[in-house]
Amino acid sequence: MFQAFDNPGPGRPLARAHWMALLARAPIDILEPALHGHAALPARWLRAPETGLMMVQGRAGGTGERFNLGEVTVTRCALRVQPSEDAEATVGVAYVLGRSHRQVQLAALADALLQDPARQAALDASLLDPIRRHLAQRQSERQARAASTRVDFFTVARESGSINDDGEENQE
Amino acid sequence: MSAIPTTSLSALGAGFSNEALGSQAVFRAVLRALSLPGDPVALEHDAEVPATGHAASAAVLLALLDSECTLWLSPTLAASQAGTWLRFHTGCVLVDAPGQARFAWVAAGDAMPPLASLQRGGDEYPDQSATCVIDVAVLAPALAGTDSWRLTGPGIQTVQHLRVAGLPEDFVPQWADNHGAFPRGVDVVLATATHIAGLPRTTRIESPSTVEA
Repeated sequence: MFQAFDNPGPGRPLARAHWMALLARAPIDILEPALHGHAALPARWLRAPETGLMMVQGRAGGTGERFNLGEVTVTRCALRVQPSEDAEATVGVAYVLGRSHRQVQLAALADALLQDPARQAALDASLLDPIRRHLAQRQSERQARAASTRVDFFTVARESGSINDDGEENQE
Repeated sequence: MSAIPTTSLSALGAGFSNEALGSQAVFRAVLRALSLPGDPVALEHDAEVPATGHAASAAVLLALLDSECTLWLSPTLAASQAGTWLRFHTGCVLVDAPGQARFAWVAAGDAMPPLASLQRGGDEYPDQSATCVIDVAVLAPALAGTDSWRLTGPGIQTVQHLRVAGLPEDFVPQWADNHGAFPRGVDVVLATATHIAGLPRTTRIESPSTVEA
């Protein structure tokens, strides 16, 4: 859900993999208003929205062997968009969790528009920033919920210390 | 992240506008072509096929292939967008050797791999054989003439005449060998830009030259 590359650091150019990862997790409530003005652009399906299952793999502790965690429902599509009269058509691709065709269509539209350098900065501010804020908020909420159940274990100091421990005591 | 080779999708065309109905219509045409061998069938479809290769062949493969199929493309097609287009829409696997493929597509002007080099299946599983789609220049039903094939076999009531241009000269002897291996063998679909004709392994071909000989 939350990725290390969500915070690429200042000065890094916006990469397509980065915004596609953001769009894949963007709720439709953010996509719909931000793309309201672009929804009427001439667009054609390269691959109409289709829903299927994907196997998710996990790895315990980040170092263990990969294992199949389970299947998730994924909807994907590819959309060819003509951003403006003179610009070359771009193809937007999107994969989202769930079965919402509208959500995947908007995510693909956003991906296609972000490939147009003329629109990238404006969309970064109007669309990607709200998604980043939303994800950061979700992350802090989740961390707060987890932190409320946190238990700190304290270890009582061992009675028979080693020679080094004795030395430290002497210094004190 | 390591650099993954990516393909630009911007040059690709769309598949069937309605995936289910479009591929069913083409499948019906292929079924008809293979059940009535040598009878050219008009292929109607609305896919945005690649520029290289005949439109009918592209539509046939778009309808038949899926992610479990292996496909071999002749050199002209392999160098074009055709492979990317089929991979994007069907998920098929492209292979380098004709002998590994369950489907082969030969463009007009490219050398056809010898039919004997394609998969023929086994006596127990003759269905595990290759289907070869060959682009030809002319495909016309003909009356008994000097330059037309005389086809007989299952699906043909008496005899079917077919005029084909654009196949290698030794195709008929190769076909006789393929027919002789029954139940094993390769099935061939001949395609112009708009029509297809089926040559299942059960069909016998007599060309004028073999009749005279």
